Amino acid sequence: MIWQVIEIHLRRLRHNRMEWLLAFVVPIAFFSIFALIFTRGVGSTPRVKVVLVNDCQPIESTGDDLTHTVLDLVPEKAERIMEHLRQAEGLRVMPETDEGAETMVRRGSATIAIVLTRHEDDVAARLLNDASDEVASQVVTALVTRAFMQADFPGTASEDGGTSEAASDDTASENQNAFGRFVSTLSTGEVSRTEDDAIAGANSVPFAAAGDFGRIRMPKIDVVNVLGQSKSNPVISVYAAGIAVMFLLFGATNGGGMLLEERENQTLERLLSSQMTMDHLLLGKWFYLTLLGCVQVTIMFVWAQFAFGLDLVGHLDGFLMMTVVTAAAASSFGLFLATLCQTRGQLNGLSVVLVLTMSALGGSMVPRYVMSETLREAGLWTFNAWALDGYDKVFWRDLPPSDLGPQLGVLMATAFGLLVLSRILAIRWEYS
Amino acid sequence: MISSLSDAIDVRDLRKTYGRGASQQVALDGVAFQLRRGERLAYLGPNGAGKTTMIRCLSGRTRPSSGEITLMGQPIDHADTRSALGLVPQEIALYEDLTTRENLAAFGRLHGLRRRQLRQQVQWALDWTGLADRANELVGTFSGGMKRRVNLACGVMHEPSVLLLDEPTVGVDPQSRQRIFSMLHELNERGTSILLTTHHLDEAESQCDRIVIVDAGRVVAAGSFDELLDQTIGIDRTVHVYLRQRLRGHDNDALARLSSSVQVRPGEDVIQARMSEIAMELPRLMDAVLEAGYEVRDVDVQSPSLHHVFLHLTGHGLRD
Repeated sequence: MIWQVIEIHLRRLRHNRMEWLLAFVVPIAFFSIFALIFTRGVGSTPRVKVVLVNDCQPIESTGDDLTHTVLDLVPEKAERIMEHLRQAEGLRVMPETDEGAETMVRRGSATIAIVLTRHEDDVAARLLNDASDEVASQVVTALVTRAFMQADFPGTASEDGGTSEAASDDTASENQNAFGRFVSTLSTGEVSRTEDDAIAGANSVPFAAAGDFGRIRMPKIDVVNVLGQSKSNPVISVYAAGIAVMFLLFGATNGGGMLLEERENQTLERLLSSQMTMDHLLLGKWFYLTLLGCVQVTIMFVWAQFAFGLDLVGHLDGFLMMTVVTAAAASSFGLFLATLCQTRGQLNGLSVVLVLTMSALGGSMVPRYVMSETLREAGLWTFNAWALDGYDKVFWRDLPPSDLGPQLGVLMATAFGLLVLSRILAIRWEYS
Repeated sequence: MISSLSDAIDVRDLRKTYGRGASQQVALDGVAFQLRRGERLAYLGPNGAGKTTMIRCLSGRTRPSSGEITLMGQPIDHADTRSALGLVPQEIALYEDLTTRENLAAFGRLHGLRRRQLRQQVQWALDWTGLADRANELVGTFSGGMKRRVNLACGVMHEPSVLLLDEPTVGVDPQSRQRIFSMLHELNERGTSILLTTHHLDEAESQCDRIVIVDAGRVVAAGSFDELLDQTIGIDRTVHVYLRQRLRGHDNDALARLSSSVQVRPGEDVIQARMSEIAMELPRLMDAVLEAGYEVRDVDVQSPSLHHVFLHLTGHGLRD
């Protein structure tokens, strides 16, 4: 008897393609997506978008002070650092625009601005950081440190593993020894904060080492969070938006499924034989799902405000705009899938696959900044990514609604396009 | 403006095909019939005969390939016709997570009822279905018969002139069937013309004024039950006389001479006869049987039924 039960279920499984898909294909697909995200198996290693600013201008000299002009090596060193940073593989250097480096970081055009400044008789770096990317500041700090080293010691290993032709053998040997002592010191943890670090502020990350290792001095690098310093819970808006959008999609596809239920039990026949038309029906469902989605997301963010300190009230205008267009796009997506499928079973399987895939690629599950360039670009085909970018602009970057143009545009176009496609697909149910 | 003189439904040379070329399937092949005002018409046929396609064409849900349908004298796609038509699908086409009252109100609104008129109609429907005491319960919790009654009520909330019912009693017990037909009778008394499809031939025979039988997309017979009998198997009754002994060969001729329609087969224990005047012919047969020395075990008299007419017209072969 037990075997009979097993046999019946095996035979049912053989005839149910969607169950095959969910049992065997979807887990492998998701394993692959997350493996690609965390091993960066597709495309290039993620590069941090930076903007470079060199504030180390030569000191204006007068004819009486020729000695000072001759000894001012800071601009030259700064230029060497800039050059090394431009060549660093982990960085994507964005051209600085008129709005300025800090504004570029605030708007999300760059993740970090590297500003080289004069500090006493040397070069220092200030990293104007967007704290939402928890990895970028550490990567950039390391790369800036290396650029400083390379600028100080032309004989040390360069980016391509070779040595500078300009360095003499003696200089190179001295540099290597000093560098060795420095690395040894770092490894024993004898790095201390400099006095200047103390004034860097609670939201900056001082990074400096004191000590003289021959010609080596630890570079002075200050990391200043220009975004997120006033947030009581910096990442909560990202998670609230990510989870809200994912469940918005599930809710919308489930709501769209009502259309298939109505078709299967002939309620659709009855509805369409009344004064109702297919246009009325689809638009009615679309408005309902959009309204429900708005309420769903609003409840999520209200809870985030009360429980986790998210500043919803202070961003109400941008939040409402993003929520309405995101809910509208999700509703259209739900209706599109419903009209695409023949049965509720098909819809359930397809929606699970699509929603989870879009959520994984679009940043609802894993922040997109940890993904490779290729996966990040692929994520732009999901509207999770556009919705999350919009919420990020509203809650993280504190940008006004006028800056939401691209996100609102893409989501509205998606909402309209999918609704039109739904209408076209529903023609087959209207008359036959 | 809906004409007051025309038939409720007039179908002329209706044709509906699906697919093209060699794979083309003909669902309706020149169907023509009329539903008169105030009439109850049964539209019968074996599976695949085109009944559902016909209902869909009448409700405007399928566009015929050719032919014409008028409802109260107006083309079926005319704006006025939708409110004149009520549809009760074969499935329970209700929202099971709404209450009876909410379902009735929802479908009433879809047909243009508002406020006082809507409230009146909902109350009428609750009384009509006998579900006034269950008005605020979810339809999903109801029995099959109760759901059928609500299903029917939702189709007539707007008091349509013509009601289309696609197998309204499928899957319900005899008591519920009786209740549903008494509801339909009441509706018909109020002037609603009714067209129904069903596989319960006894329902069609007893509850409908006229019958249309279709097969392979064509009308094979139409008329009242008596007219169908005249057109097909006639009104003769079939009599079976069961004997306690098997028939012998030598006296068969004497029995057979009673009537040309008496079948007597030696070796069998039954005599079969067709009789048009049973009051005179049956006593004569019984006398002959007793005189021949047989003892009668049982007598069975069968009146011709729609079942016989249906099988006579559509054959015994399976259609699925």
